[in-house]
Amino acid sequence: MKRLVVLLLVAASALPAQGPAAVAIHNARVVPVSGPVIARGTVVLRDGLIEAVGADVNIPADAWVIEGDGLTIYPGLIDALSTFGIPQPATPQANGAAAQQPAAPQITSPLATPGAVTAANPPARGPEDRPMTTSWVRAADLVKPTDRRLNSARAAGFTTAVTFPPRGIFAGQGAIVDLAGETPGQMIVADNAGEYVTLATSGGFGGGFPNSLMGTIAYVRQLYLDAEHYRIAKQFYAAHPRGTARPDYDRALEGVLDAPRVLLPATRRTDVDRMLRFADDLRLQAVLYGLPEGYRSADLLKKAGASVLVNLRWPEKGRDTDPDEPDTLQVLRVRDRAPSTPAVLAQNGVKFALYTGGLERRADLLREIKRALDEGLSPEDALRALTLSPAEIYGVADRLGSIEPGKIANLVVTKGDIFQTATEVKYVFVDGVKFEPVEEPAPANARPESAPPTPEPQGEKQ
Amino acid sequence: MKSIAFAFLFAAAALVAGDDDTFLIRGATVHPVASAEIVDGFVLVRDGKIAGVGRVFTPPKGMRVIEGKGLHVYPGMIDSGTQMGLSEIGSTRESVDTGELGKFDPQLRAEIAINPSSEHIPVTRANGITSVVSLPMSAGGGGGGRRGPAPSIIAGQAALVHLDGWTWEEMDILKSAGMSLRIPTILAPAGRGGDPDAPPALGGRYSFAEARRNYETDLRELRDFFEHARRYQKAKAANEKGFRPDLKFEAMLPVLEGKEPVVVLAARERAIRDAVQLADQQKVRVIIANPREIGKMGPELKARNIPAILGPTLELPLRDDDPYDAAYTLPDQFFKAGVKFAFGSFDNEFSRNLPYQAATAVAFGLPHEEALKAITLNAAQIWGVSDRIGSIEEGKWADLMITDGDPLEAKTQVKQLFIKGKNVDLDNKQKRLYEKYMNRP
Repeated sequence: MKRLVVLLLVAASALPAQGPAAVAIHNARVVPVSGPVIARGTVVLRDGLIEAVGADVNIPADAWVIEGDGLTIYPGLIDALSTFGIPQPATPQANGAAAQQPAAPQITSPLATPGAVTAANPPARGPEDRPMTTSWVRAADLVKPTDRRLNSARAAGFTTAVTFPPRGIFAGQGAIVDLAGETPGQMIVADNAGEYVTLATSGGFGGGFPNSLMGTIAYVRQLYLDAEHYRIAKQFYAAHPRGTARPDYDRALEGVLDAPRVLLPATRRTDVDRMLRFADDLRLQAVLYGLPEGYRSADLLKKAGASVLVNLRWPEKGRDTDPDEPDTLQVLRVRDRAPSTPAVLAQNGVKFALYTGGLERRADLLREIKRALDEGLSPEDALRALTLSPAEIYGVADRLGSIEPGKIANLVVTKGDIFQTATEVKYVFVDGVKFEPVEEPAPANARPESAPPTPEPQGEKQ
Repeated sequence: MKSIAFAFLFAAAALVAGDDDTFLIRGATVHPVASAEIVDGFVLVRDGKIAGVGRVFTPPKGMRVIEGKGLHVYPGMIDSGTQMGLSEIGSTRESVDTGELGKFDPQLRAEIAINPSSEHIPVTRANGITSVVSLPMSAGGGGGGRRGPAPSIIAGQAALVHLDGWTWEEMDILKSAGMSLRIPTILAPAGRGGDPDAPPALGGRYSFAEARRNYETDLRELRDFFEHARRYQKAKAANEKGFRPDLKFEAMLPVLEGKEPVVVLAARERAIRDAVQLADQQKVRVIIANPREIGKMGPELKARNIPAILGPTLELPLRDDDPYDAAYTLPDQFFKAGVKFAFGSFDNEFSRNLPYQAATAVAFGLPHEEALKAITLNAAQIWGVSDRIGSIEEGKWADLMITDGDPLEAKTQVKQLFIKGKNVDLDNKQKRLYEKYMNRP
């Protein structure tokens, strides 16, 4: 009986793949990331997992064989901070400047906009109103395999994304999702990647609390203190339900307690310092993201032993700016130096992953990666920052991030070096399912508007 | 009948110009501004006017004599940009009367709105400022946010007034000193103090395209308005059938005839360029008000004899990367460019700091005598009243201050102040507060 159930399960999992149960890519160059490059090797995939990797691996009799001469196999790329899979609003925001902002609340959000002031939702008075908070929202519940961006993300070599609800101070919990599937459920690799925190403010008059950076930081702090108290109170109540006043259920705190880690934004060096202290104060398992000024924050990060997510979408001049108003030196400096961040972090031994900042077209992505490579980042480090490092940061290196037996069969097969523009992406395997990517024509606006891009650092004083 | 009227007139004149305004200041160092200083000189005032300046004068018997030994006599200072009497407390809407709604309101006259009892007047006067230009500006004063109505372009007629009088009629020097015009600008992204991250609707960064569109619309409307006014002028001159008087266009006639200048508020270089273009296209006299930079516009301004009213010098630079002293050196840049300028505080509460505004410029390169001129004679010339005020010369009104030193020095005290020869009270609210709290046990 038990065997029958197992068999059924296996059959069920094999069904959606619709292709052959096993695939072998033969005689290809294999870059496992976790180990040395295999000049001529074979990778066998079965039932969505990697069955075998090596220079002399027997090809199973039932396997569909792909001749890999001239091909290179990489682990599938992971977008370490993304909204891939969460369908975006049909029309990007009309305002170009707004796209440069951090994920500030916007009415066009597909989610209930946290903090939006409506008749039913009066302005928040303080932390007790949990402003701009949807900490309980799970990206895992929002992803859809129909998101139009999945195609181009796969074409760019991405098989996995760590996807977050993008709006609010406590935006919600991320999920690690594979970028293909018949149903949303099939896409989920891990349903709880961490809480995504932004330092959004209510944006002015009538928007309610918090209306300033200091308010937002105080609010984040308060919520963590509340969550700790809530956890203890719940624990006590569970042990002594009789004679104890029950703690009020609070979904905002539930969401915070649920998250295994928290993503905190850090733009300037000051922010890095601030956020590291903040995480230390609250004993948070924190991952910093953004880091356009990471090139001069490596010492802080190294000292704290922090892991960071670096936005690959390097800051650039907005398209809709006043030609007569020159950018400040400070802005120009960051714009110029930001692409050196990965190289500097790699030199200093800071663990980092790269994320696309909403870029999905391969050409855009390669352009941004090239800028980092030009600043001295080695292609190996770049690859690691898009594969194994994010898997390690999110604690799923046992499943994702490298080509090793037993890991999820997420691969990119290219005809040449993956970071070369001329290189063709031949196949992408997601959960063992083969895709032959067709690059979509460039959209009218070269820069997609999806969140979250790196905000241009503004004139904050040191 | 006629003689009665005469008698009346005489009585009235006597009331205004009493015996008080005939006197002699002697033994003081006289700084006429128009000419070299006279050590141990005299100023003779008769019926409120300066009747003589020089070295030796024997007063007729019975004439009031003010001994000025060790003191200095300067002409009263002129603040060329304020909202004196139009706004009492900026954040209290009820006390703000600086402008009207609507984009084009040339028919409005600031002068009749001036409150002669404003607390700012004695405070300003106490530092030696005897006359100010009161500029009407955009509606709402402190209340007009970005979400408010569109700001005015032509806000009305500025008045040049004496800081003394029971009514605006008594204060009057020039009813229409100039037409206050805010040149349309492309609103730059919110700079210092603004919140660049706020959504555009809340005063954050504008989309440039949007700002540019608004700017072009405003400029077009401004051009159209001038054209309408010109059309009105012709119709009136031709006594056209069906001609209808219109106060707005009527008010524009002196501007079109070149009798009244247009005071163009233009901060940045490109706004100044637009102002110069306005002068060229509309053939009107332009005065640039509150420029914050000169850029490449110096020669353009000089070639057209366009003067400027420079704003406060103790300001932060316009842009992050500007030199720290950008505002301090601006007056000297105007001077070196050969552009005639005067100072305006563009303030009410701090109009009294006008001499220190000039003093900062001196510390950063402007010759001292130019700084002094910029708060006296230049201002009078720019406003076209140098026959009446601005220097100590025979025939001008006796707007004088007696000080114990250089008025550009902060420690200098104004000992006596005369407006049209009348010795005005130097008491003011600040002094009363000072005394009140000095006497606190």
